[in-house]
Amino acid sequence: MIGSRFARASTAILASVALVATAGLALAAAPPAAGTNSAEIALPPPPTAWYADPPVGAGAGPVTQDLLSKSPADPSQWLLYGGGYRNFRNSPVKSLNASTVKGLHVAWSAPTGTTGQFEASPVVYGGVMYITTSYNRLIALDAKTGAFRWRYDVKLPDDLRLCCGPANRGVAIGGDLVFMATLDAHLIAFDRMTGKVAWNILLADYKDGYSATSAPLIIGNLVYTGVAGGEFGAGGFLDAYDLKTGKQVWRVHTVPGQDTAVLKSWAGDSWKSGGAPAWTTGAYDAETDTLFWTVGNPSPDWNGDTRAGDNLYSDSVLALDPKTGKMKWYFQFTPHDVWDFDGNTQLFLIDTEFGGKPVKAIAQPNRNGYFYLLDRVTGKFLRATQYVEQLNWAKGVDDKGRPMVDPDALPQDNATKRVCPSNLGGMNGSWSGAYDPTTGLVYAPSIEACQKYQKGMVTYVKGIPFMGGMPDTTDANENKSYGLLSAIDVKTGKVKWRYRDAKPMMSGVVTTAGGVLFTANMRGEALAFDQATGDKLWSFRMGGAARGQPIVYEIDGKPYVAIPSGGWASIDGFAGAGSILPEGGQIFVFSLDK
Amino acid sequence: MKLNRLSVVAALAAAWFGGSTGAAAQTGASIATLAAATTPRFDAPSDIARGRSIFVGTCGAYCHKMNGANGDAPNLFDCDWLHGGSDDEVFHTISHGVSGTRMVAFGGALPDEDIHRIVAYLKSASQCKK
Repeated sequence: MIGSRFARASTAILASVALVATAGLALAAAPPAAGTNSAEIALPPPPTAWYADPPVGAGAGPVTQDLLSKSPADPSQWLLYGGGYRNFRNSPVKSLNASTVKGLHVAWSAPTGTTGQFEASPVVYGGVMYITTSYNRLIALDAKTGAFRWRYDVKLPDDLRLCCGPANRGVAIGGDLVFMATLDAHLIAFDRMTGKVAWNILLADYKDGYSATSAPLIIGNLVYTGVAGGEFGAGGFLDAYDLKTGKQVWRVHTVPGQDTAVLKSWAGDSWKSGGAPAWTTGAYDAETDTLFWTVGNPSPDWNGDTRAGDNLYSDSVLALDPKTGKMKWYFQFTPHDVWDFDGNTQLFLIDTEFGGKPVKAIAQPNRNGYFYLLDRVTGKFLRATQYVEQLNWAKGVDDKGRPMVDPDALPQDNATKRVCPSNLGGMNGSWSGAYDPTTGLVYAPSIEACQKYQKGMVTYVKGIPFMGGMPDTTDANENKSYGLLSAIDVKTGKVKWRYRDAKPMMSGVVTTAGGVLFTANMRGEALAFDQATGDKLWSFRMGGAARGQPIVYEIDGKPYVAIPSGGWASIDGFAGAGSILPEGGQIFVFSLDK
Repeated sequence: MKLNRLSVVAALAAAWFGGSTGAAAQTGASIATLAAATTPRFDAPSDIARGRSIFVGTCGAYCHKMNGANGDAPNLFDCDWLHGGSDDEVFHTISHGVSGTRMVAFGGALPDEDIHRIVAYLKSASQCKK
């Protein structure tokens, strides 16, 4: 069934590509045939697309594995969501420092034309910037001037199964292709120079509760993507596809039904609707050839009565062989989660010290409010420290890494207890943090909010919401939510400095070799801070609530800082960051005069 | 597609008034009158409690808020009903979903009785002061 559908989808898209190929940059939206009942045809509608003629970025050559492995060494490029495989999001650009940053001004700006949160991290290569918008619009722009080069608007069905908005967090780039995962759970490969579709495959049927929002990851000849669907009980998985052909190489289920130990961690057949989506981008350690991917919440979110047990591998990090998907180890952050504390926040692969000895570590500011340090070779738990200001769902984490849950913090039928952090975090996988090797600090933007976790009835039907409860967004309702940018010392786990914002901080971070980091807030401001001290150095009012991932790059010796602007009123309000600001994506790119 | 009680009533009404089903579906008042005569009541305290629990478990969280706060989906506790506010119209909206939105059809997924209980809960918890 899936194969058949894929073949027809590809045919439809290739047909539209052929039509457009003769039209150059002209619009080529193929209207549906008169009298066609689209509901009866399981095909994605034809795209609206503008292709580049002549091709752009042709002089740069293919993106090689060597370039990806060294990223972000070349300041003219930003190739991966995490900046590099270790996810530091740390740019080598040195010219932005405490004295120059005040001279930043808008070099160019461009609209996305869509509402909904603009969560992308741009990718820059060959002088071209690739951004994805809400509702899967992929745009290639001149990275120096902002001129549009090509654009592809995916036509999505109108009955998508989305928990949390029409987000997309960016592309992956490899060879001469860029890759975007879609809200209707496809993975599409585009020619980076023209925008034409190379292949388009179906990950899963969106009507079963699936979607895909994260930037894929590329290692060698494989492209990796996971799926969302934890609010629908859709079984999570991570896929690896051949980069050139789109042929599936392996699939790892996050709740593998053939694994006896896993099945013992779920009561009865509850694993079958257990969710555990792999909805964010992973990390890669070339030294040990290990792919790390995180896993989200078990389903239903807020009622664990029917799924007694630890619910493996929900809320975990998986260490995998990137060629086969075979698991090396796992670590579960929140066993038997009943708060929606997905384990999907950013992983930082940091070589640091623990107990006076060097350690190859993973650091993660988890959605549950703890900052974890693990040995990334063995998966051994090393330390967890609280990085949010308010945390009461657990009374700490024991020496094995297991949280000591406060029974009073469990969801109730008529909940009255204010429990922290909120179900969105803390930090959340929909935005990034950054790490600066010079300061040894991880910078984590977060929500400071508490909720009353309500338990409800559990009703599983494929493709309809399966949450088993809901948070009463207490602090958001009472305007008590606020935001933090915390600088966490990886060696000690302690917060060195904090910036406090009146609204939750829900945009990503980029650090630079010049000692200045960039982020943005939900009040519409782009912000720069001194990485060592937390001193606020610069701000610019972009206007929209910021939900995207800033990047830094350099062209012809000039630095550029790209920051997306544009929120989504629903989830912003849920977090306590709702405001008068209207929706509408816009990217701002700042630079210095020479 | 599974026919629910209102669909049957609509079809009967169409036959009665001699119009098409589509035309009959727009004669809301007549249908509501007929439907009200045949729809069992689910407004006992136990029904409302069950309706609330289903609502909390399925409809709340990221969609419909219980406190009237802004959300992705309409506030169901104020005076405004986008697709009709009678019990049968609300039942119909839940059962059939709303095309072009992410309000999927719950008919067939939830038993009709439980959809009636959700409607009863919504009406019992209304903050509309009209």
